[in-house]
Amino acid sequence: MVEKKKEFRRRDFFFLVPLWLLSLIAPDPYLYHKKEFRKKDLYYLVAICLGPLIWPDPHFHHLMVLAGIYAILALGLGLFMGYAGQISLGHAAFFGIGAYTTAILTTRYAFPTFLAFWASALSAALIAYLIGRPFLKLKGYFLALATLGFGEIFLVIVRESTHLTGGVIGIFGIPWFSVMGFSFDTYLKQYYLAWGVLTGLFIFSKNLVRSKVGRALLAVAASEDAASSVGIDVPKTKLDIFVLGSAFAGLAGSLFACVMSTANPEAFSLGFTTLIVMMVILGGMGTIYGPIAGAILLTWLMDSLSQYQQYSLPIYSVILILLLIFFPDGIGTRLNVRVIYLIGYWAKKKKRDEGKL
Amino acid sequence: MDLWTYIPQLLSSGITMGAIYALVALGFVTISRASQIINFAQGEFVMLGGVVTFFLLNGVKLPYPVAALAAIVVVVLIGFAMHLSVIYPLRKGSILILIMATLGVSIFLSSTSGLVFGTLPKALPPFTSEQPLQFWGISVLPQSMWVLLSTFILLIFLYLLSHRTLLGKAMEASSTDPLGADLLGISRNLMVFLAFGVSAGVGAFAGILITPIFFTSYSSGTLLGLKGFIAAVLGGWGKNSGAILGGFVLGIVESLSLIFIPSGYKDAVAFVILLLILYFRPKGILGSPFIDSRRW
Repeated sequence: MVEKKKEFRRRDFFFLVPLWLLSLIAPDPYLYHKKEFRKKDLYYLVAICLGPLIWPDPHFHHLMVLAGIYAILALGLGLFMGYAGQISLGHAAFFGIGAYTTAILTTRYAFPTFLAFWASALSAALIAYLIGRPFLKLKGYFLALATLGFGEIFLVIVRESTHLTGGVIGIFGIPWFSVMGFSFDTYLKQYYLAWGVLTGLFIFSKNLVRSKVGRALLAVAASEDAASSVGIDVPKTKLDIFVLGSAFAGLAGSLFACVMSTANPEAFSLGFTTLIVMMVILGGMGTIYGPIAGAILLTWLMDSLSQYQQYSLPIYSVILILLLIFFPDGIGTRLNVRVIYLIGYWAKKKKRDEGKL
Repeated sequence: MDLWTYIPQLLSSGITMGAIYALVALGFVTISRASQIINFAQGEFVMLGGVVTFFLLNGVKLPYPVAALAAIVVVVLIGFAMHLSVIYPLRKGSILILIMATLGVSIFLSSTSGLVFGTLPKALPPFTSEQPLQFWGISVLPQSMWVLLSTFILLIFLYLLSHRTLLGKAMEASSTDPLGADLLGISRNLMVFLAFGVSAGVGAFAGILITPIFFTSYSSGTLLGLKGFIAAVLGGWGKNSGAILGGFVLGIVESLSLIFIPSGYKDAVAFVILLLILYFRPKGILGSPFIDSRRW
């Protein structure tokens, strides 16, 4: 009798340790009532700050710079898709608008990059505002199709207006990002730039989704009729979050142009939109940690697949479909619940095998 | 003066292109009649139809009609496989998941076909002669006549399939009233499965028709698929007649737009039409059975 109890306790401890470790890193979307920023966020921040110093590999730094930029983009899209429940397949176009605004302002008119950075967000937001009103009246498939159409029109315009955007060749020689004479010219500096901007936008988003606006977004996602019946201005709420997400995309595009020092239309095609939307889905809809995790994961996946050269796209698409089939809610959502279920299943299976159940 | 001589020529090429768009749009409509799913990989079926026929004709050295038929069978099997491996496991997923899954299939099919059949653009020989026919000063390729004729025959076939057979009615029932279809003993999954086969076959047929006129490469399917979808929305979503009308209208407008704008912007015309139609009349020209008077 005593022996049995002891065995149970040991096994319990054995299962609790990975759960506790998971609770440190896994986003928990159900804790709305908890404090705004938890100890977990501090761990993340420390990890972000120390990560590149612990692992001083330039390739890793460059990868994380890209991941940070994609995370900004996915964060904006996550607000629009995850919280407001809309679908956008044209987000790459706003990324492109941001990149081209920075590229044109810095190379043609010799703007300082810091000003071009804000101008990019402004131009993306302005265009989003202009097209948002008619677009956001649509729902479901038709909204997806309309935004996709906008993305394609943007690509055609960029390819064809050669005197402004350089056509298919694009614009070269965009200067490094610099603030007050401090130039972000190494991968390490760019890492801190991208993740610094991301941290700022993350804190903004986190406060936003816990505010009245965030609650209104969740209500709109659940049911537009119900939301309007409790006095939420549904079109305005949707438009606001669309413009905000596009401004995020503009900022990300500006950083992308400065980091890569080129802007060409192939970077903003439908394949890129698919990648960004996958980041949001994989991270989990309706969280703001999710898109960032998805961005890191998919950037790493794309990089590790690129060694297979021409086989990378088929492998990537198969992985994408498998992830959609097995993790339609995202890999992080309800991770704790799922692990508990699995552990319970294994434990019971062991018992069943031993013939005790 | 010079401009006006081009118009009949543009019109004839617009009608040819319109027939292709109509066929692609019919593929979308066939699936949506059975399941309310929109298959973004429809354009890849068109591409595969052309590319597989090219491979069978030049690689395996089959005679032309056999190669075309075999290609259609292969693409239908791919459509079945797509349903079984992707759509069936995700049948309860949200709209976004389905869109992303079909986009994933689209990436897979186009990149795999680039790997297997090579990335060079391919052109099939025309069905009959290459000598353009002259009608009142307009030169028309014989292949264009073939396209129109085949489209017409296929339309009649599809009309009979969807309106005169039990199968077509069962497909439509499973889309408009899933619960009622279940109660009547119609297997919805089987209907979607068959719809994917039919739509893949129609797509492959369109691909075989188009490849002698335009070059088909591994990446040309996506844009064609999107334009077919636009045609289906333009004519009236979910209606066979709407898909045909939308296809021809889109083809002609796109072709005539070359009078006013540089040819590089041609691809944008379809999307501008899409945005206009979605804003002013989401039901499409003929109205749609699936979209009520409220906006989608």
